[in-house]
Amino acid sequence: MIYIIDHHDSFTQNVVHQFQNFDEVVCTNFNKINQNKLKKADIIVFSPGPGAPKDYPISSEVYKKFKGKKKIIGICLGFQQILHCENGKIIEQKKIYHGFQSKIKVTSKNSLFKRNSQFTVGRYHSLKLKEPFTAKNFEITMRCAISNTAMTIENNKEKIYGFQFHPESFLTENGNLLIKKILSA
Amino acid sequence: MNKKNYLLDLNNSKKPFIIYKSDKGFDLYTDFSKKIILNNNNIEKFINKNNRLRSPHKETDLFIGFFGYEILNNLIEVKIKKQKTINFPKGIFYKPETKIKLSNNLEYNKTRSLNANDLFKININKKSYKKIFDKFKKKIKSGETYQIKICTKYSNKSEINALDFFCRLVKSNMAPEAFMIKDKNYSIISCSPENLITKKKNFITTKPIAGTLKKTKKLNKNKALTFFRKNLKESKEHNMIVDMERNDLSKICKPGSVKILKKKIVEEYKDLYHYVSLIGGQLKNKVTSLEIIKAMMPGGSVIGCPKISTLNLLNKQEKQSRNIYTGSFGYLKFNGDMRFNIIIRAILNFKGRSEISVASGVVIDSNAAHEFDENYIKAKSLMDLYK
Repeated sequence: MIYIIDHHDSFTQNVVHQFQNFDEVVCTNFNKINQNKLKKADIIVFSPGPGAPKDYPISSEVYKKFKGKKKIIGICLGFQQILHCENGKIIEQKKIYHGFQSKIKVTSKNSLFKRNSQFTVGRYHSLKLKEPFTAKNFEITMRCAISNTAMTIENNKEKIYGFQFHPESFLTENGNLLIKKILSA
Repeated sequence: MNKKNYLLDLNNSKKPFIIYKSDKGFDLYTDFSKKIILNNNNIEKFINKNNRLRSPHKETDLFIGFFGYEILNNLIEVKIKKQKTINFPKGIFYKPETKIKLSNNLEYNKTRSLNANDLFKININKKSYKKIFDKFKKKIKSGETYQIKICTKYSNKSEINALDFFCRLVKSNMAPEAFMIKDKNYSIISCSPENLITKKKNFITTKPIAGTLKKTKKLNKNKALTFFRKNLKESKEHNMIVDMERNDLSKICKPGSVKILKKKIVEEYKDLYHYVSLIGGQLKNKVTSLEIIKAMMPGGSVIGCPKISTLNLLNKQEKQSRNIYTGSFGYLKFNGDMRFNIIIRAILNFKGRSEISVASGVVIDSNAAHEFDENYIKAKSLMDLYK
């Protein structure tokens, strides 16, 4: 079972429908978490949402509690939430991407995806990861083909994955494929 | 029956009536046997009790009316703190006993009397608009909202002949969701172009508009499409609304059934082109009317995105009640089918006062002066009716 923690976003139900292609999904608001179901979940997903990771201390607690014990996936704000918990700095960017379609590239040979392959993805983010960023077992594996902004992180040892873009958006081509690969990793 | 005279008689009779755009013309509803004024205590019961009856049914087996903006916020547990209000009802629905089909050519014999109307006043001047605009731009930079629509309101003192206004409005601005309500103490006239919910049996669609272009001699439909596609700002705004509407439908539809049926097409109206998409899905079994309304309303394209945090930002900012503006008008049939629009491009006349609200969007690359002027253009076609 996949537990999706919603940060009150207007895209979370798209994430729910996407993950329902692969498994049973439970989704609740971040401040109404069902602890029993969360414990039983195989995978925890942090949804997109408005604001910054520091606005959601409850989600940070969940991350720290289950890191290494369950597979964790973060999307947009959820991606930033993971980085924030790993002492990454999340900052405002000069150019803002809302409803923006762009090309991204696999930049690491340690990615689940083939190095140098390209994806067309939908983006909705005001904030980004400040670099350089380092954390044990984490690697930035995809970047924006133009601005070089970090677009995915992978920690294949502890099974933690994050997307800065939105795999569930209609602007993302092959979004289901991306999710399928992460889920079966 | 001579429909021209019928309309004239109806209008003179002071009997309440409603006219709503249909596929081929207009439908007129009257002889109301019930009138329900909505409040936070009766709304849920009202919505859910009216979809028990299965077919066969009569054409008048429905409730027709509107939900105001505030009650739709409250329905999804978004609070609005005390605002300046004219005490207009939060929502009203009627049970008609008569339905009459009218043609697109709405006319009735009336010699127009010149109204000595007051000039329209705006509630936010350009300077304060710019201030709000800059404040919201900061909220976009910090990620609290991705797109937000600032509402401005024009009002004046006036008594209007609603039917006369509506006939003239649809002559110059025919719109697929146009409607009017005339009751004893208020009237509403709207040329809304936007359908929020069309539900027939288990299938539901929504048709958001994001992107409007005024017609010129040099422009045609293809050129309008090229304009929208090349214009990054319009495209981004539209994309956001498409994903948000997919999201709202996904709350009540079967997984995997939500599809974009028409993706970013141009529709042509008398004076303008709209950039629209059509999104639909198969409803989950046993979804109630209340769940559908809570999932879809208030309509996202006129609010901004993400819905809840953006509503909260708007409600903190706005000092005056929106009343009907960005609420929804339409009908709930007794068999569970429904059709609702988004109330925009509308006049509310109540207690000898008319108000026209308009809004335009703030995204990261919009410009305050341009959006302020855009708002004026949107209001102008309605204000022109007072001349």
